[in-house]
Amino acid sequence: MGHSFIIMLRSLTYAQRASRLLERAGIYSSLTKAPQGATVKGCSYGVKVQDRYVDYALQVLRGSPLVIGKIFRLEPSGDFSEVDL
Amino acid sequence: MIYLDSAATSLQKPKQVQQAVIGAMLTAASPGRGTHLPAMRAADVCYECRENLAKLLGDSRPERIVFTMNATHALNIAIGSIVSESTRVIISGYEHNSVVRPLHHKGVTPTIINTPLFDRDAFMARLNEEIDGCDVVITTYVSNAFGYVLPISDIAKLCHERGKRLIIDASQAAGVLDINAKELQADFIAMPGHKGLLGPQGTGVLICGSDATPLMYGGSGSQSAQLDMPEYLPDRLEAGTHNVSGIAGLNEGVKYLLQNGISEIEQHERKCLEAFHEAMSGFGNAKLFYSEERQAQSSVISIVPKGVTSELLAERLGAHDIAIRSGLHCAPLAHETVGTFGTGTARFSFSPFVSVQDVLAATAVVCEIISTSQK
Repeated sequence: MGHSFIIMLRSLTYAQRASRLLERAGIYSSLTKAPQGATVKGCSYGVKVQDRYVDYALQVLRGSPLVIGKIFRLEPSGDFSEVDL
Repeated sequence: MIYLDSAATSLQKPKQVQQAVIGAMLTAASPGRGTHLPAMRAADVCYECRENLAKLLGDSRPERIVFTMNATHALNIAIGSIVSESTRVIISGYEHNSVVRPLHHKGVTPTIINTPLFDRDAFMARLNEEIDGCDVVITTYVSNAFGYVLPISDIAKLCHERGKRLIIDASQAAGVLDINAKELQADFIAMPGHKGLLGPQGTGVLICGSDATPLMYGGSGSQSAQLDMPEYLPDRLEAGTHNVSGIAGLNEGVKYLLQNGISEIEQHERKCLEAFHEAMSGFGNAKLFYSEERQAQSSVISIVPKGVTSELLAERLGAHDIAIRSGLHCAPLAHETVGTFGTGTARFSFSPFVSVQDVLAATAVVCEIISTSQK
């Protein structure tokens, strides 16, 4: 299994809205809670997409009214790092 | 039972509503409190309900749909967000205590537009005279006591033209009349889930067109490391665990309305109203509050019976398995405006699940009870 990306949104509701948008664009995503170390304010949500879909997913979300937060690369081991895409 | 009290609570609901409530109790946990399947199922139910409400109520932003316990809760948030002791407030003369009491509690004495029942032009003329002296207009869309439909689009338009803030109590309009939140552009629109939206008791909705101040503070499942409530909606206003079972039921009620169409339901209820009026108008022993102007009255009608109190009439109808409501309907102001404060009224309200035959059967019993009481 390869790595994936977490695209952070403002809240669970916004993450759900993002997930529906991606679904309509033909991109499978899953809702996910950000690892605690990844956020300062705690308990944040995002959508997880596979490596091969991330560019298109970002294109879709950036073309919507949704505000995207940080983006993390998530390794199969669970390690994560912030990336600039 | 012939149930003619949907203006209080819609007892008869689509079967899917109760199935969804039970289904959620068995399978859904709490949104934003985990990533396991039951928590995500709860999150899905809540989001789907927000989406469907947004579709039904003409707002494209599901995150602006906030779940509350009921319309009173929603109105308290709305009023608490933009009204303080020094705020100059205008209200209609048809407001429910869910508006009047929060204002009283804040020490606000509002200007009351107490123009005659069903006279929409008089209302607008008086509002036009008074509006420059206020900061906020709070109005019901439909009077719960009389079914009077206020000219909400004109009110909203005037508020925008004069730069006034607007709170709409849509308790009797949601699921009964078309509501286009985008067009109204109100600061807040409040409604219960358990009336026209056909959801369970304990559900309510606040559509937020403006930033809001929380009424309650606590866990939201988001931004947990900070002491303040999250700054974004809906989390900002939804402290504590959601009524997920109720929201699941509400979602099914809203889906039923989307499938069947508000205008079809409105037409059906209008037929019930007209049948009621026609059956009762030849009977001289009750005063009927009815408007020939179709757009001025929804599917609620009040009467003052002669020779018997409204309470006794309701009680005797109850013995015949006919449910109505009597009294002031938590809207003493409306009765002061209309002149029925001393007697209250007997109120009949219709729903998609009441037939014209039911209405005619009920009116026959009403006439019989009133006639018998006069002997």
